[in-house]
Amino acid sequence: MTITDQLLAALSLYGLPVLFGGLVISSAGVPFPMTLMLVAAGSFVEQGEMKLWPVLLLASTGAVLGDQIGYALGRKGGRRVAVRISRWIGSEDHIYKAEAFAERWGAAGIFFSRWLVTPLGPWLNLTSGITAYPWPRFLFWDVLGQVLWVVLYVMLGKIFSDRVEALTEILGNLGWVVIGLIVALILGWNLVQYLRPARTESAENLELLADESRRKTNRRASVGNLP
Amino acid sequence: MTQTVGERLKGFGWRQWLVLVAFLLVLGFTGLHAFRAVRGAVYWRYHRDEPIRGWMTVGYVAHSYQVPPHVLYLALGLPHKRPDKRPLREIAKAQNRSMDEIRAVLQDAIIHARPPYPAPSPPPPDEESAH
Repeated sequence: MTITDQLLAALSLYGLPVLFGGLVISSAGVPFPMTLMLVAAGSFVEQGEMKLWPVLLLASTGAVLGDQIGYALGRKGGRRVAVRISRWIGSEDHIYKAEAFAERWGAAGIFFSRWLVTPLGPWLNLTSGITAYPWPRFLFWDVLGQVLWVVLYVMLGKIFSDRVEALTEILGNLGWVVIGLIVALILGWNLVQYLRPARTESAENLELLADESRRKTNRRASVGNLP
Repeated sequence: MTQTVGERLKGFGWRQWLVLVAFLLVLGFTGLHAFRAVRGAVYWRYHRDEPIRGWMTVGYVAHSYQVPPHVLYLALGLPHKRPDKRPLREIAKAQNRSMDEIRAVLQDAIIHARPPYPAPSPPPPDEESAH
């Protein structure tokens, strides 16, 4: 019996406490198949075995709570370890660079890793804590993303309530496609930079020639205007 | 003279090669999952019934296979008035049966509840409620 089977069996037997607990633990970083649980919960709502609002409320609360645990772990323990390691290898500025990066891209990263690229969520919690991303902002984007995730998957489970496993498999694969495309875009952009021709001497010469020709044209025009 | 792509590739260092290999691997990974997603969608289109698993409840199986729940409860010898929230694996354990047996019983009941067989009769009063 797989962990997925055990969790789903527990969800059908005990309902909301299992959903809440599973989401706290998985959001804190333990890889539980919570997407499947949310879709299954949506299906149970459709069958009248669970109520919609308690499912949405408890699932969102559990997910946000788990994320705060991940963030706190990063902030308290992870940051100290990261600073010590970067000091040890003599690259303390990397921490500041990471902080600047988090400051610039953190909101989008937190928001999209909650519902679109969910496998990255626990990592983003830790790194947000390590880079000391402001907690109120983290909480804001976290709540927004998690509520969207919970509502989206529970409603999908409710709509396609008779095919929970097939739907989850398709969604899981689509999630990896999105992650793959993002990584491929980043790597592809780097490759394009390597392959793009460097500013060569001939290109500079061409620009000089263009300047010269422009100057000549202007001179001719001014001569033509003479009385 | 501007270097061609081939010439620039020849000038790649180990870092650039690493990025290129990673890029190709990620493309392969993405393609594989895109293929799986499409295959899943095609399967979805042509196969409505999900395989019966141990985590499913009788209610879920009835809902998924679109048959009246009482048909499946009766086939398993369970009271049908109140929904049994136990997963099939628990029911199998309680009845000293294997999951394969439970699956076979349910599949047989499902086949007989669907066309070309006549529609199942309405649920009889439960033994508990009849007493």
